[in-house]
Amino acid sequence: MDWLERELQQALERKMPPDGFAARVSAAAGKRRSFAPRWWMGAAAAVVLLLAGGSLEYREYRGRVAKERVLLALRITAGQLHYIQQRVQRESQGAPVEVRQ
Amino acid sequence: MKRKALLAVCAAALPLVAQQFQFHLEHLAAKASNTVDLSLNGSTLQFAAKFLDSDDPDEAKVKKLIASLDGIYIKSFEFKSDGAYSPADLDSIRNQLKAPEWSRILGVKSAEDGETAEVYLRTENKKISGVAILSAAPKELTVVNIVGPVDLDSLAELSGHFGLPRLKETKPGRRM
Repeated sequence: MDWLERELQQALERKMPPDGFAARVSAAAGKRRSFAPRWWMGAAAAVVLLLAGGSLEYREYRGRVAKERVLLALRITAGQLHYIQQRVQRESQGAPVEVRQ
Repeated sequence: MKRKALLAVCAAALPLVAQQFQFHLEHLAAKASNTVDLSLNGSTLQFAAKFLDSDDPDEAKVKKLIASLDGIYIKSFEFKSDGAYSPADLDSIRNQLKAPEWSRILGVKSAEDGETAEVYLRTENKKISGVAILSAAPKELTVVNIVGPVDLDSLAELSGHFGLPRLKETKPGRRM
């Protein structure tokens, strides 16, 4: 056996851990943060979902309002055109009506 | 910072640019018993179009009509008594609807009822780019500006919808 083998044998020799080693390892493992969901993660997810849902709902609301405004605008315009044509038809006999093309 | 301020000013000015003439009728709102003030720019129209049902015949017509429009601007007032607005209010609008951009295609005046109605067309490169309607009665005043390439036939067809009776066929030369 040469010096190298002796060095290796001494270095790799089985040794018993010091007293209390197992207890210290267990205690340290208990202090590690777990990846289990926390309450705030759930709250944050709920807030994100609420915001996303609220945003969609608000967009729908804005769309309905815009649609109603457009329909009102066209209703007024159509009403005016209808009124004008009625006047043209009714008064073209006598009243002054100018029509240019 | 200056760029942001400039952008903000430009954004605020956009509605004025989009509208083809100024109504200058804000002072009548206080006298009116009912007021309708609609300012729908192109993006609002396109946004609204997404919520119009293509399967509904009426809404499909509206969707098609507004697809090419750049804006619809309306001010309509109802008054409890006569004389709430002055001829100068109408003239301030008429003075903006001048040639060569604008041409009056129709005017109705009833001395008996004190009502007038006028329709103006705006043309650019021989294409219609806007319509103005000025309708005045003793207790009512309505001004409409439709901005963009208006399809007059589609516009007239609207009278068959929204609960309004359909326009009757008119003799050639009297059709709007």
